[in-house]
Amino acid sequence: MSVADAVTLPPFNPAGAKILVVDDDRVNVRILRGILQTAGYVIAEAATGEEALAQCADFQPELVLLDVVLPGIDGFATCRELFKRHGKATPPVIFITAKNATDDIVEGLDAGGVDYVPKPFRQNEVLARIRTHLQMRRLVAGQRALVEQLSRANEAKNKFLGMEAHDLRNPLASIRGLAEFMRDGVVGELTPDQLDLVNTMYQASQSMLDLVNDLLDVATIESGELRLTLAPTALVELIEKAVALSAMESNRKQTSVLFAAPAARVGMTLPLDAAKMRQVLDNLLSNAVKYSPPGSTVTVELRAGGGQCEFSVKDQGPGIPDSERDKLFKDFGRLSAKPTGGEKSTGLGLAICRKIVEAHGGTIVAENLPDGGCEFRVTLPCSPAL
Amino acid sequence: MSIPAKVLIVDDEAHIRKYTGLLLRSLGVPVILEAVNGQEGFEMFQREQPDLVLMDVNMPVLDGLEALKLIRALDPDAVVVMLTSLATRQIIDDAAGHGATYYLRKDTPRDEILAQLKQIFADTFESDDEPHAAP
Repeated sequence: MSVADAVTLPPFNPAGAKILVVDDDRVNVRILRGILQTAGYVIAEAATGEEALAQCADFQPELVLLDVVLPGIDGFATCRELFKRHGKATPPVIFITAKNATDDIVEGLDAGGVDYVPKPFRQNEVLARIRTHLQMRRLVAGQRALVEQLSRANEAKNKFLGMEAHDLRNPLASIRGLAEFMRDGVVGELTPDQLDLVNTMYQASQSMLDLVNDLLDVATIESGELRLTLAPTALVELIEKAVALSAMESNRKQTSVLFAAPAARVGMTLPLDAAKMRQVLDNLLSNAVKYSPPGSTVTVELRAGGGQCEFSVKDQGPGIPDSERDKLFKDFGRLSAKPTGGEKSTGLGLAICRKIVEAHGGTIVAENLPDGGCEFRVTLPCSPAL
Repeated sequence: MSIPAKVLIVDDEAHIRKYTGLLLRSLGVPVILEAVNGQEGFEMFQREQPDLVLMDVNMPVLDGLEALKLIRALDPDAVVVMLTSLATRQIIDDAAGHGATYYLRKDTPRDEILAQLKQIFADTFESDDEPHAAP
């Protein structure tokens, strides 16, 4: 069943819907019973608030028509008591009132009523209001069931994704390693053509392994299993390490990655999951190098202030086309820009970054720079305790 | 560097046995034995008395942790390295609790896993080797 099918309700059929009519005036009750039974509803009656409370538990009505003026506790008090006892499961309550002064109506709605019907009744109005609220109740129940069903399906999907990714890892790692042994001539010298094929196998298994690892990250994060281990972390050092690691790839493309560590480091030690935040940094840096033309400059900046710490990575790449902005931080949101040195992209990196940054209570944004290139900016809250 | 003379690989996946075998061969291990589950691994351990065991965790018939327990009961000094695919804290703790000497992640890049194996050999077999090193 598609989601669109599930949200389209079948036409409302009142037959058999149970309504509790609460009124001490026998004539009113008789009139209402006549109107409602003719329309196909099943009716139970109560003459006092206390009786209504008992009936509500026994009869399990889908809707309650409740008079305001009753012997014993009045309609408003009865309504409040119903909500106290049944909480979210309380059926919609429509007040029947001759007192249709605004104050009374407001008090009735405050007590939890969804609507009111003025006495004397007009048959069509009573039926229309009842139908509307029953429909709404069924719609809400249907939506709730649908949301539950979808979230179960999503959980199952994440679990499956995680299991599959997990099972794919070992064989891929073996293929990669075996290809490496062949490449190194462990099982005999290779001709240039053979070497080329083996290198292709190595590279293909490596990029599949990257994809599988990213998928596992996404599955872990989606299933709510992204657990941060926060410890006071000097952001400057984390960035310095990431920049040093990026040197291998950036040197290959003659791209320089510049990071001028700020002189004042006050407020730059934050409660972070260092490994996860490092993953964010590595990703932003490798993207910046990946999409910048060879020989360009990637600039990393760090600043603190106003209870926040912010780092940014600026590149000299093609920037982000406006039409693709909304894809940027989404799963598989690969854009039209191509890596400039034949690198691979899984399309999951920035989605993972966003989830990690958000789990830290921070934000990540991307902006095109006026002189070309773009800037990714991560803002993290500083804890006053640190 | 000191090299164990006989290493037993216990894993139900043929490609892992093959790849791990190549890793060991490239480090100069002369005798490499293979078993396809914990039960077979334990029996081979008893029969062949290898210097080191590389043991997978999830296996049919008898899993790696159970086999580790049997080996430990038999020989408290046996060197058993667990091969894990995803080193969750739980698996590492379980393995350590049952007396695993080390653990290795199967998806570690080749050069890194070679370095880790060398380190394990060095830590484990250095003392045995010293007399030979003396002139």
